[in-house]
Amino acid sequence: MRQLILIRYGEIYLKGLNRPYFMHALVERVKQAVRPFGGKVWLHDARIFVSDMTDMEACMTAVSKVFGVHSLCPAIEMDKADFNAICEKAAEMMQGLTGTFKVDARRSDKRYPMTSPEINMEAGGYILHHTEGLTVDIHKPEHVMNIEIRDHAYLYVKVIEAVGGMPVGTGGKATLLLSGGIDSPVAGYMIGKRGVEISAVHFHSYPYTSERAKEKVITLAKQLSEYCCGIRLYVVPFTEPQLTIHEKCPEEYGTLIMRRFMMRIAAKIAEKEGARALITGESIGQVASQTIEALCCTDAVAGMPVFRPLIGNDKIEIIRIAEKIGTYETSCLPYEDCCTVFTPRHPATHPKLDHVEKAESCLDIEGLVNACVEGAELLEV
Amino acid sequence: MECYLDNSATTQPTESVVRAMGDCMRTGYFNPSALYAPAVQVEKQLAACRELIAARLHADAKRVIFTSGGTEADNLAILSLLSDRRGGRVLFTVGEHPAVRVPCEYLRGHGFDVQEIPYDGAGLVRMDALEALMTPDTRLICVMQVNNETGAVMPIREIAALRDRLCPQALLHVDGVQGFMRLPIDLRALGVDSYALSGHKIHGPKGIGALVYGERVKLTARALGGGQEKNLRSGTENVPGILGLMEAIRSYPAENAMQANKMRLHDRLREIAGESFYVNGPQPDGPLAAPHILNCSLVPVRSETMIYALEADHVYVAAGSACSSHKQKVSTVLTAMQVPRRVAESALRFSLSPFTTAEQIDYAADCIARHFEMLKRYERR
Repeated sequence: MRQLILIRYGEIYLKGLNRPYFMHALVERVKQAVRPFGGKVWLHDARIFVSDMTDMEACMTAVSKVFGVHSLCPAIEMDKADFNAICEKAAEMMQGLTGTFKVDARRSDKRYPMTSPEINMEAGGYILHHTEGLTVDIHKPEHVMNIEIRDHAYLYVKVIEAVGGMPVGTGGKATLLLSGGIDSPVAGYMIGKRGVEISAVHFHSYPYTSERAKEKVITLAKQLSEYCCGIRLYVVPFTEPQLTIHEKCPEEYGTLIMRRFMMRIAAKIAEKEGARALITGESIGQVASQTIEALCCTDAVAGMPVFRPLIGNDKIEIIRIAEKIGTYETSCLPYEDCCTVFTPRHPATHPKLDHVEKAESCLDIEGLVNACVEGAELLEV
Repeated sequence: MECYLDNSATTQPTESVVRAMGDCMRTGYFNPSALYAPAVQVEKQLAACRELIAARLHADAKRVIFTSGGTEADNLAILSLLSDRRGGRVLFTVGEHPAVRVPCEYLRGHGFDVQEIPYDGAGLVRMDALEALMTPDTRLICVMQVNNETGAVMPIREIAALRDRLCPQALLHVDGVQGFMRLPIDLRALGVDSYALSGHKIHGPKGIGALVYGERVKLTARALGGGQEKNLRSGTENVPGILGLMEAIRSYPAENAMQANKMRLHDRLREIAGESFYVNGPQPDGPLAAPHILNCSLVPVRSETMIYALEADHVYVAAGSACSSHKQKVSTVLTAMQVPRRVAESALRFSLSPFTTAEQIDYAADCIARHFEMLKRYERR
């Protein structure tokens, strides 16, 4: 008899012939998450199992963050031959719980001498007689004692919801523009959840922004990488383009032209990374550079799809996700980022593309962009 | 070259301080309350430190209490008023450090009429306003010896004289954290009732300070226990800290070039920024300016931008006050002095030590000149 973690996956079930590909990716991601705890990971009978880990709780937390995992259960594995022992263990696991319960047996080993309904009745009766404060309700029980009969018997009561989604790496690659605010880490999380491998670009305007601001973004990238299985973070020195825009371009287009530079630089880095799309945390109308007209102007220079998973979200909804994934508190640290330092007083909210193009035509765009890409510092977090 | 010009935030302990503390921990580690001879030696050293502090301040060595620093000393002096059931008025100057301001505001919620004493444009107490605020029921007046942000030396003598005339029973508490050792003070002659000091601002260790108090002061214990420090501050004495403080006092260079170096820096900065140079505080070569602090603005370069630029050259300065780097706001002191916002946003506080050299000042000024040329290109609109 031993303790292990039983992992269930969700959407991969819907896959047809290529299901093994997704399963393999998921097992690899679970292995990666379990590695610090030294556990064994194996796939059997449409379930992933983890055993022999040093720290059960911490290991479960790590696994619950693996995209593709639907839920996980701390389970007991035991010999299926001794049904009495199974009943005893089940009663022991239910001890201390109160309210209603049922037993839910699943028998994938069809040679097992008892059918699932028989197991339900026998084990349920045993639990009822050997615990206090529990009654049976097979329709809407508060607690479910799961007994799965496979190569062994697996018993579990607690089911922990995990993040869901698809295993990282099965959805291609994309590059996230990571600012240090609340939105961009959430945007990265949402695209990462669809199995996309994320790299990130941060624009740093030293000395207008500080070392602390950079450290904050590194912390955010680390928090995000717990889900995304590691992130390659590019920190781009962005002072020169910002100063040049500030000096040479009309003030009302300042932010927009800056966003267009960011897109160009991020797209170049994305190409280097083999990524096929950009991700931003923009949401319609949140600030002047996020009106539909402004987004059209920034998209015009990206040269690849720009994913904006938060486009229809309210701030409060975004904050809720940020809190759930653990980035909110870091995002709220007060260090300025490059976007706020150079904000014009009255930015254009309904810009026309030809006006913007004309306004930036005095700049050496290629030179500035290339210098930024070459000067970028790569951090693997 | 490294140039540390943030000595009002903290100072580097001198070699002899580090040695004194190391020796204490290696060989003089005994509990001063114990009965055997080596413990008696330690107790004698503590008494010697009290003597030394009392001699510097013209106070009674029996009335020196060691604390964890300036904040605790201020709190002990101010919050002891809570046991005075008569209530009454409490005055503190608008630019007091939070260690004074916050406990005073706490008294406001406990039956005291707490009022702020305003500053004039140079950051000095407005005597006319103070006179109007002094009522016969005034219990406590808190005035710092030197303002930590501007270096303004408060007119303690005049304030004490006014107190004697208008509310003679009011206690006068002086926060001497920025003045101790850098300016002489005679508590007895001035009629100061209590005085707080800190070790780490004078090249001593962090975690040690003292409250020196006169006969009129009734202190209430803020930590109960074994009865150390006349039952006012229980807990085994911080012996290494106290011996470090003693060594810092003993070895503090009485003759030093702080004032000359401060003026050297002032003259260079005025030359660099010309019309855009502003001193925030009293005239730096006058008697109302402390020798070690210069607060000035090089408009339009924002404080944090210059600080981040200088850190790359290993030149370290503060914006307004080092205590508020985590809160982004214009300093209350500069606001009280009605410094225009754009000047306040550029304010830098240089704080020198007796060990600062003219070469370091020249180096810092050269770095500032270089950055000022570059950074003034961008002005926030």
